Amino acid sequence: MDDQGCPRCKTTKYRNPSLKLMVNVCGHTLCENCVEMLFVRGSGNCVQCDTPLRKSNFRLQLFEDPAIDKEVEIRKKVLKIYNKRDFDFPSLREYNDYLEQVEEIVYNLTNNVDVESTKQMMEHYQRENRDIIQRNKAKLTREQEELEELLLLEQQDSQQRRLETLQEEKRQLQAKRKSKQALLDELENSQLPASILLAQHKDRAAQLETQIEKQKQSVKPATIFSTGILKGQTVSLAPVAHIEEVLYKYQPLHIETFGPPVPGLEQLDRIGCRGDFSAVSRETLTPIIQEVITWYLNHVRTATPQDLAGGYTSGLACHRALQDAFSGLFPSLI
Amino acid sequence: MYHNSSQKKYWTFENEAALEKLRQEANQKFRSKALSIRKPGINDSIFLDPREEKVLFKHYEKRLLDLCSIFKPAMPKSVVGTACMYFRRFYLNNSLMEYHPRTIMLTCAYLSCKVDEFNVSSTQFVGNLQENPAAQERALEQILEYELLLIQQLNFHLVVHNPYRPMEGFLIDLKTRYPLLENPEVLRKNAEDFLNRAAMTDAGLLFSPSQIALTAVLNSAARTGLNMETYLTECMGLKDNKETLSKMYDAMRRITILIKEYELPRTDEVNIYKQKLERIHAECAPNTNLKRKHGYEDDDHVVKKPLITEEEWTDEDLDAL
Repeated sequence: MDDQGCPRCKTTKYRNPSLKLMVNVCGHTLCENCVEMLFVRGSGNCVQCDTPLRKSNFRLQLFEDPAIDKEVEIRKKVLKIYNKRDFDFPSLREYNDYLEQVEEIVYNLTNNVDVESTKQMMEHYQRENRDIIQRNKAKLTREQEELEELLLLEQQDSQQRRLETLQEEKRQLQAKRKSKQALLDELENSQLPASILLAQHKDRAAQLETQIEKQKQSVKPATIFSTGILKGQTVSLAPVAHIEEVLYKYQPLHIETFGPPVPGLEQLDRIGCRGDFSAVSRETLTPIIQEVITWYLNHVRTATPQDLAGGYTSGLACHRALQDAFSGLFPSLI
Repeated sequence: MYHNSSQKKYWTFENEAALEKLRQEANQKFRSKALSIRKPGINDSIFLDPREEKVLFKHYEKRLLDLCSIFKPAMPKSVVGTACMYFRRFYLNNSLMEYHPRTIMLTCAYLSCKVDEFNVSSTQFVGNLQENPAAQERALEQILEYELLLIQQLNFHLVVHNPYRPMEGFLIDLKTRYPLLENPEVLRKNAEDFLNRAAMTDAGLLFSPSQIALTAVLNSAARTGLNMETYLTECMGLKDNKETLSKMYDAMRRITILIKEYELPRTDEVNIYKQKLERIHAECAPNTNLKRKHGYEDDDHVVKKPLITEEEWTDEDLDAL
């Protein structure tokens, strides 16, 4: 299943769970030990494709497929140059074309298609758009900084809140302890009977409790989004357009059985040799009548307790036989 | 339920002529296919005509029923009925000359055991063929080989509605709603006989199982000298529906005629046609063997064996039944 491993020393993740696989720009894997061994001097060639590599370019392999690691690396590099954004373009179409071009370049570099010409194209682009690249880079870093600042702020905030709650809890605990101590003191010194003192104490304790509850409730809800969304941005909360739908109307299922009507499952003990009793309530049928009439169910094997446990009733078998008997009985009238 | 089954939709035919036509077509199809090989020895004279096919079909069907009747553990009736129906449906669109009925009949029985939840293992199944273990092994191999073909030829319509349960339903209904009849159980024996004979006719391809079952019950009543017309008019609600009633009587008459007309094939005839059939299968064998080779190409020991065993395992082995 998991045959991820170093192609050189053949160690696998299965045999050595702590195996660390590294990947370089060419997208071929090596384990950490082999990297240490082969690149003692800081540079060398890839074992598999002979590309000259530098040791410092080895990265920990994050994905199962090293090619993806390679792609991620390349994408990072390409996006450093191709860092235009949608408002740098006059129309969406041009922006999309640009994005497509970027994808093309990434694909080519990852899969070694026209590497040379692609690289040339990139260089050409870099030369032509040096200004924009620089500007965007600066902008990006600024934005990045802002975002980081925001995150830091948020972190501090949450830290403070945690501290506050901790302190609050500590205070409450102290209050409780104090009231207990007070009770003991009173019991020791006061002349009043102990039962009254206890009642008083209970009252006070209850008051304290409600106070704490109130405080807890009045804790302000967090005012800042914890997801790092800019505070100025608002989420559109326009009500969803109301769609008028026609309500489903139940239509009773009609099945053409091509035969006479079959008594229902629940009627099997209500229809007998003297006719259909299903319209009469069961209570009105005296035991004598019950005995005189032989019902449908009197003619099938009664279910044993074992059968009943499994969900079988004699009615089921009876009903099925009757259904089968009446289904398709009448020849089609064509 | 039968009323929305594949049996009603695809396997119930208007009349006998429609069935005859299908069988004719199957016969014709095989003839033109065999002739197209252009092999010396294959000409029009060696083929079976549809009537001869019918005789052989009856013969093998009887053999199928015999096998089922001596089967251990005892086979429920519905399994037998299903097997019979498979056999009948299969040769509606296929010629006996293309697939040997000896194999198909065993496959039908085996498949119906599976479909009808009559649990027998394959070795247990072939254990019922009274033969030596090696022959049983070969039979099993053939069964498994033809099973998928059979299922395909049945168009994957594997549920067969047999008239046995409807008959039970009628008996229950008679006991409950028809007190004129003292003891409906007396009808059972004759009715069951009737159904067993109906299984050997085309009734199952022409009429619904409930019609056959009702015919069986009424027929049995008539034999015991009882008139049950009031059951139809009163309990079935056909009093005011003269048209349906007359159609019902017509259908019942047709079923009865079908069953009365049935006669066992004559042994001498069967023997002649059997020889003819064997010859056809021998002549056209390379064709079928080619098919088999494809499936077993990988293990050659299997390929070689069936070539010989096809000849070895003859009807005489089965005649021990």
